Order: sequence, then structure tokens, then C-alpha cells
Amino acid sequence: MNYISGSWSALSVTLRNFFRPITTQSRLDKPARLPEERAERYRASFALVHDEHGDTACIACKICENICPSSVITVVPGPKAESPNTGKKRAWLEDFTLDLQGCIYCELCVQVCPADAIVMRRVQEIPGYQREDLVLTMDRLYANETAKPHTWANASKLKEMQDPTRGLAPAAEATDASAAAPAAPAAPPAGAP
Amino acid sequence: MNLRQRDRINPHLDLDTVDAAADLMALNMGPQHPSTHGVLRIKLFLDGEVIIKAVPYPGYLHRGVEKLCERLTCVQLTPIFDKHDYVAPMTNEQALNIALERMLGVEVPRRARYMRTILAELQRLASHLLWLGTFTLDIGGTIGGGASLMMYTFREREPILDVFEMLTGARFHYNTHQVGGNRHDIPDGWAAAVKTCMDQLAARMPEYEEQCVTNSVFLMRTKGIGVIETPLALELGLTGPNLRASGVDLDLRRDAPFHAYDEIKVNVAVSNGCDTHARFEVRIAEMYESIRIVRELIDNVPEGPICSLKPVRTVNQIKLPEGKQMYTAIETPRGELGTWLIGGGAEKGACPYRLKIRPPSLHAMAALPYALVGHTVSDVVAVLGSLDPIMGEVDR
Repeated sequence: MNYISGSWSALSVTLRNFFRPITTQSRLDKPARLPEERAERYRASFALVHDEHGDTACIACKICENICPSSVITVVPGPKAESPNTGKKRAWLEDFTLDLQGCIYCELCVQVCPADAIVMRRVQEIPGYQREDLVLTMDRLYANETAKPHTWANASKLKEMQDPTRGLAPAAEATDASAAAPAAPAAPPAGAP
Repeated sequence: MNLRQRDRINPHLDLDTVDAAADLMALNMGPQHPSTHGVLRIKLFLDGEVIIKAVPYPGYLHRGVEKLCERLTCVQLTPIFDKHDYVAPMTNEQALNIALERMLGVEVPRRARYMRTILAELQRLASHLLWLGTFTLDIGGTIGGGASLMMYTFREREPILDVFEMLTGARFHYNTHQVGGNRHDIPDGWAAAVKTCMDQLAARMPEYEEQCVTNSVFLMRTKGIGVIETPLALELGLTGPNLRASGVDLDLRRDAPFHAYDEIKVNVAVSNGCDTHARFEVRIAEMYESIRIVRELIDNVPEGPICSLKPVRTVNQIKLPEGKQMYTAIETPRGELGTWLIGGGAEKGACPYRLKIRPPSLHAMAALPYALVGHTVSDVVAVLGSLDPIMGEVDR
């Protein structure tokens, strides 16, 4: 007898739901979320970027390779040379590989980059048919730079957000707005420590 | 259960001394059973359908996290800790970082402590929602066709993951804590999103609760099933909702405050039922309490920095003092997650020498041989679901 009354009370919930507004959306009404609709900080894939002078920003300092918890980054430094744009002598990147098969998307490589060279994208890589399709080579990473959208973060913005003195200085207007969107990124540090 | 079966029930039964071949049937439940919450294997010795003895065999999800902790530096450990309790990653990160902070004597800014409290409570809600869905799914068919409530609770869990995504950029493996504070500050509109999410949940929770407690089949499947008496619970080291459902009023949020729990009042839900239904009641009460705490704190997050140390720049920037050791525990959705940390390991002290995790789920598993005996096979999933173990945390 208990089973009959219990089943009836359970089914009455189902019945009640027939007369309620629909809360689940059909995939036909609304397609999957576009990358632009994702949260601004959503992190999925990677890109290497150029600096404001038009040079490739990476200085091959290997900090990201060292900090990666799953060791998926390989950096091959090239010889030092003068920049064609600024004329300064600096280190250049010979080769860069990021293996997405083992990446855990922890954002530590972005956080530690002294040159703001690596950023994350809001778009996942498309699935591939071979394992090699999931390995981001240097060419693919630089091609990702123009394929927007990127997340808001780079190393300077993250470090500015985590600054232990932020909001404590008497002159700074520590409002919620400045806390939420760090507007002006600090000047990129000169080189590798 | 007939009289002969009742006399044979014994959780400490030695199978060598009984004629096991005669009529006890050994049945392996798992490791691929959908109701075992991961890969748990329980060996059941049955007389008819009555369980005479039950032996859980964990270890199918062992990933060597503790060994990995001796090789990775403190900076690299947080994203690894996301992965051992994969239903509540946020509180795992906090357990690790609180352990490191207390060992180094680092003060966490007040804003970060408030944010951590909110995140911990949101994570408790998300974890308990997933538990409610899978628990009612496990005892199947009783709540309006089995999967209905699971659909609803997963729907309620989505907005919580969305606000996590808004804050940290990831839906699940956040890496949003670091030694000395948090990595991500609150973005614009986050408080409003959290409030909307809490309003929705608070409006719908009574209905989910009502669906269960007014259903006579649900009550039959849960009341008096899987009894863990108070002395046994204390002896086995049960913590969290499982212990509080056995009548022990212990909650680290109130008794050993961390984060900002010393500045707010936490009402601890306790039940004397000791059975599956009591554990259900305690968790439901905790969800209401979490909603209340989040609503209370979300408007009162103080201004200021979110991290008291310099941002992470190099891999071995945080060094642990050699030879110092410390046990730190926080209250996660599943109970007391302890971290036994010994400093001064590899990389000149940047790695821990040893990091032992005390997972609450492992101790909940220890109650299975006592809670299952005397019940039938169909009660296994109900008892297991009510204990809410996460196998990733059990095996690490």
C-alpha cells in the first residue's frame, strides 16, 4: 500500500510539472554558448602574442617551462640578436611547444610570464584525429593571437590584481570598479630575471 | 530476514571458520557499478539477499597525489589539489593553502578570507546538490521516476559553476588560491550573479526537500537503514555530515574557525537518527545554512588587497622551513580534510618533504562493513549514497 501511495505522490510531481512554464531550453531554440558569451576570464586554449613594437614578445626565459605542473611546455631559446623594430639586443624564441594532451589549464604559465608573451583564449581547440593535432606548435600559437577572443588576463594584469599593496595606498581610490577591471596594464618588465 | 540469517550477521566474520562454500554467496559490487560513485568495489557475502558481511576494496583510482606532492613545489601544488576531491575542488585548494600559510605564518587579507568563505559555502552547495541528485537517483524510481530530481539538482548546480567561471575562469579546476590569498579578484556584477543564483535556489529547495520527505517510499528506503551508532562513528573517525547525523555536534567551521568563520555565526545541523535519513536531513539543513551564509556575506566583502605575499613569479619562490611539521584541518562538504605537512623537501625546501592528506571520505568508507550488514543488496546503494564518498579522495 505504501508503494502505491508513494508512487502516486511521486507521479503527482510529474503531473504538476505539466502545467508549469518550461524551464529547460531546447538546443534548437538556443545553440551552445558562443565564445564571446563566455565569462571574460574563461580559459581554454593558448596564444603567443607580439609586443607593442611588433616583435614577438617571448624572450625564451623558460620560466613557464619550469612552473608547468604537468610539464607540457617546451621552450627552445634562440641566439641573441638585435630587434629590427627597436634596435635593442634581446633573446629570441627558437621553438615553443605546448602539449594540450596533458595541460590542466591552471593559468600558471600566464601568471609568471615576465614579458606578457603567453595568454589564454576563450575558445577551445577543435578536436583532432591524431594526437599531433592536440600539440600546439609555435606557428599555431602565433596564429591563435589573431584568432580572438582572448581572456582578459596576462601576467601584468594578474600581478596587478594580486598586488599586496593594492587599495592600501592613501592616494589610490580603492573602489570596487578598479578592483574588478584592472584598466591600465603596467609596463612590461624589461627582461628575464 | 529470518532467524538463521540474523544470527549469522557479523561484520567481523572470519570466512575461514564458516563453511563459506555451503551457502554464503560472494558478490562483487563494482568497481564498474554506476551507483558506487566512482570505482569502488564492495565484496558482499550474502545469505539469500541478506548481507552477512561486506568488505570495501578502495584503490582503483589511486593517482599518487601524495608522492607527487614531494616532487612539485608549493606554487605548483594548488592545481593538483583540485583533482583529488573532484566534486568540491575549491575546498581542497583551501585546505592546502591554509596548511602552507599556517606553516609559514602568513596572514591572509580580510577580503581574501571573506571571498574564501563565500567560495567554500558555494562549493558546499554545489557538492550537496550533486549528492542530492545522485542519492535520489541511486535509490531510484522512488522520487518521481528516478532521474527527475537529479535533473533538477544539476540544473541548480549550473548557476553555481557559472559564478565560479565568472570569478576564476574555470568551471571546475579553478586554481584560484595561492599562498597568502587568492589569485582572482571579484569581477563586476559577480555579487549580483551570486544573489540571483541563491534566490533561485532558495525558492526551489523546499520543493526538492518536500519531494523526498513526503514520499512514503523514500522514507521506507531510508529510515532505519544503515545505522551508525554514535560510539562507532567516533571510533571510526567519521567527520562532517556523517558524524553530525550520528548525534555528535562537531563542525570545524564553528569549533576551529578558519577563513572568516570566526566573524560570523554558523548554525550546525545535528540529528540523532544515526541512519540514512538522518544523514539526508543534516545535509539538507546544511544547504539552507550555506545559502544563509552566502547571502549574509556577499554584500559585506571588505575592500583591500586579495593577497598578502608578492604574486607568483618563479617556481621555487615559497620555501618551507626544514623539519617543521604541522597538521591543519578544515571543514569541507564531506567533513574534516586534514593536511599533515612536513617542510624542507626537494628543491631546497620549495617542495614539501611529506604531505599526508586525511580524506573524510576514506573514514566514511570504514563505516560500510558495519552499516551494511543485515540489509539487502538494494540498500547498499542507499547507504553508500548517504555516506557521500568521493573515490578520488579515498584513493588519492
